[in-house]
Amino acid sequence: MTYKLSVLLAVLVVVALSAIGCGLIGDSDDDEPYRIGVMESLTGPGETYGTVANQAKQLAVEEINAAGGVNGRMIELVVEDSKCSAQDAITAYNKLTDVDEVKIILGTSCSGAMLGAAPLAEEDGTILFSGLATNPDIATAGDYIFRTSMSDAQLGVDTGNLLWADGIRNLATITESTDYAEGVRRTSVAQFEKRGGTVVAEERYASDVTDFRTQLTKLTNANPDAIHLAAQSEFAGGTIVKQARELGYDGPIYSEVVPIGATALEIAGDAANGLIAVTADLDPANNKAQEVLANFREKYDYVTLAWYLGSAYDDVYITAECLKQTEDDQDADGFRDCLYGITWSGAIGNSYSFDSNGEVVGLSNVVVEVLPTGERNEDNQGYKVLGPAPLE
Amino acid sequence: MNSSSATTSPSVLERGLHTLREKGDLELYANVFIIGIAVIFTLWQGTGFAITLATVFCIWAILSVSLNLVVGYTGLLSVGHIGFFGIGAYGMAILTSDTSYELLRTEAIPQFGWPFFAALPACVLAAGVVALGVGAVFNRFRDDIYVLVSFGFAIIAFNVFLSWRALTRGAFGIHDVQRPSIGGWQLTGDIEFLILCVVFLLIAVGISWFLVSSSFGRVLKAIREDEQVAQVFGYQTTYYKLAIWVISAMMAGLAGGLFGSFTKFVDPNSFILLESMLLVSIVILGGLASIRGSLLGALAFVLLEEGMRFLPFLPDEFIGQARQVVLGVLLVLLMLFRPQGLAGRYKL
Repeated sequence: MTYKLSVLLAVLVVVALSAIGCGLIGDSDDDEPYRIGVMESLTGPGETYGTVANQAKQLAVEEINAAGGVNGRMIELVVEDSKCSAQDAITAYNKLTDVDEVKIILGTSCSGAMLGAAPLAEEDGTILFSGLATNPDIATAGDYIFRTSMSDAQLGVDTGNLLWADGIRNLATITESTDYAEGVRRTSVAQFEKRGGTVVAEERYASDVTDFRTQLTKLTNANPDAIHLAAQSEFAGGTIVKQARELGYDGPIYSEVVPIGATALEIAGDAANGLIAVTADLDPANNKAQEVLANFREKYDYVTLAWYLGSAYDDVYITAECLKQTEDDQDADGFRDCLYGITWSGAIGNSYSFDSNGEVVGLSNVVVEVLPTGERNEDNQGYKVLGPAPLE
Repeated sequence: MNSSSATTSPSVLERGLHTLREKGDLELYANVFIIGIAVIFTLWQGTGFAITLATVFCIWAILSVSLNLVVGYTGLLSVGHIGFFGIGAYGMAILTSDTSYELLRTEAIPQFGWPFFAALPACVLAAGVVALGVGAVFNRFRDDIYVLVSFGFAIIAFNVFLSWRALTRGAFGIHDVQRPSIGGWQLTGDIEFLILCVVFLLIAVGISWFLVSSSFGRVLKAIREDEQVAQVFGYQTTYYKLAIWVISAMMAGLAGGLFGSFTKFVDPNSFILLESMLLVSIVILGGLASIRGSLLGALAFVLLEEGMRFLPFLPDEFIGQARQVVLGVLLVLLMLFRPQGLAGRYKL
């Protein structure tokens, strides 16, 4: 037992010492890099987005540092996992602000985590700047809270208008019970009903479900003109499309960004042909966007959620620009004023800026259609852009 | 009198030292080591992050002590405890939240605007009432079936939080949950909130200690060893099991209320089955039927999990996943070397 005990204690000692060793490195100095916090859902339900966002940020920082940094100083990212949960976001936030003493945090990728950390950031005067969180409530979360991701409210309005313009009058919805998917469904349905449409059936599913046949059968029995799918996980999104077609439903399916992700399309296969989605997407004519995608693919050997990847990437460059102006990574107020005043052209669009709520303006959603299996490749991401979402 | 105490005291000391050497040394090492890390952590990091971790520890410690009453002392392996924790958290959120942000939404949840200290007893009570109803049914089961039905309870609780949108806002969660205030004194600061949590932890530990060292606690242990024997001796074991179940759930409700106020934001993701499993792991990690073990287990778990944030040499691109793997390996190692937990005497 003594031997086993010493092994056990040795393991714990190694963990503790390495932790302490790690903490001793990096006391700030003028030649030290600018330290920026990153909080993403690296594990848990939002892992896909969080990992892509983190990797895009690492890519951007590598580029900036390779080009000589900002004001002659490098940028260093301190990465923390907020796990898509409010409690973990709070501990991650406190670790970043208390231990690493950062005043600017890029993240998070999940709205729940964002809303958990936002009150603290607002109270401390710390910047929380997200490229992915889309919950409409974030608009009013505070003066230090910014995002380049568009609110679900906008996506819902665009989806509702598209459904109506395509001649859909009776709609069935299937929705993952998460804040994002619920938000999309609710705003889409509100706009659709405002235009005169009727929802004939609605189903919801929890995130860990893998069989949707019962719910899909109930939806198709209501004879809708179309099914609207809002998913949080690509696995569920792809599986639902696949099972709907397997059950013989051949009407149109409308969705959002998740069911057209690489994993979802792989799961759905042929069933996804013709799937329509309203989403923020990178403009094929935007050279910067194409360059970012090519560099990302070269470094990590895959590309998914291209727009969000670009959004996370742009956030780092916007941060670098504001650091160039404030010359201080501890000056959150200066950074905030810089964001309010900035107009940016990057991977996700040209000449976009932030309104008084810290919400991005000047970006818009597009309608895309998934290509037949044979035509899908890495360059087109498996779908083609039909055009901007119709207006009311 | 004097002479007798003079003659016995060396032997008491000797016996004490002997006991420590014989079987208590591991516990001692574990205690000293884990608390040592906690102290080093605080000194090295400054107080800010340590206060957050201490608050998280207090909440998890109340939870694990309360679960140990059921799992460790009474031998009922419940994996549904997180449900009561959730009831407490949602109780706090619904009763105290200022829902003016709801204007953005089409559906609005009711607004009560209760103060923290009025809502907290209500959270405890709500958890207790639900536990009474659930426990009346659960008492019919034992052993492996008990695990299954408690599993079912965790699933039901999660789905109620997720689907009862008119009350819980479903997946959106409830924000702007209140922090406590006494008169005009707002306990908004982290240190004040920590002190409050420590006070409640001490109360919970005190109650638990009193329960398990009373005759009531001895009956519980008898039920764990052999329920039929306890019945033969004339004890109505059903009532004992129900009582400890309700008390334990009320403590979990208390922890939930504190949790809701601490995070200021409550959504169903905090009450998934995985969290329940973590909680059972903490109880086993600390040691069954040991209140000190539960405290130790919660401390070790919070330190290990959050300590992972300081692991060096991990690639930035996969840092989150790598930490989870290391944490998993450490937990397996702990269980391999100490199946009875850090301070426990019994295996599951």
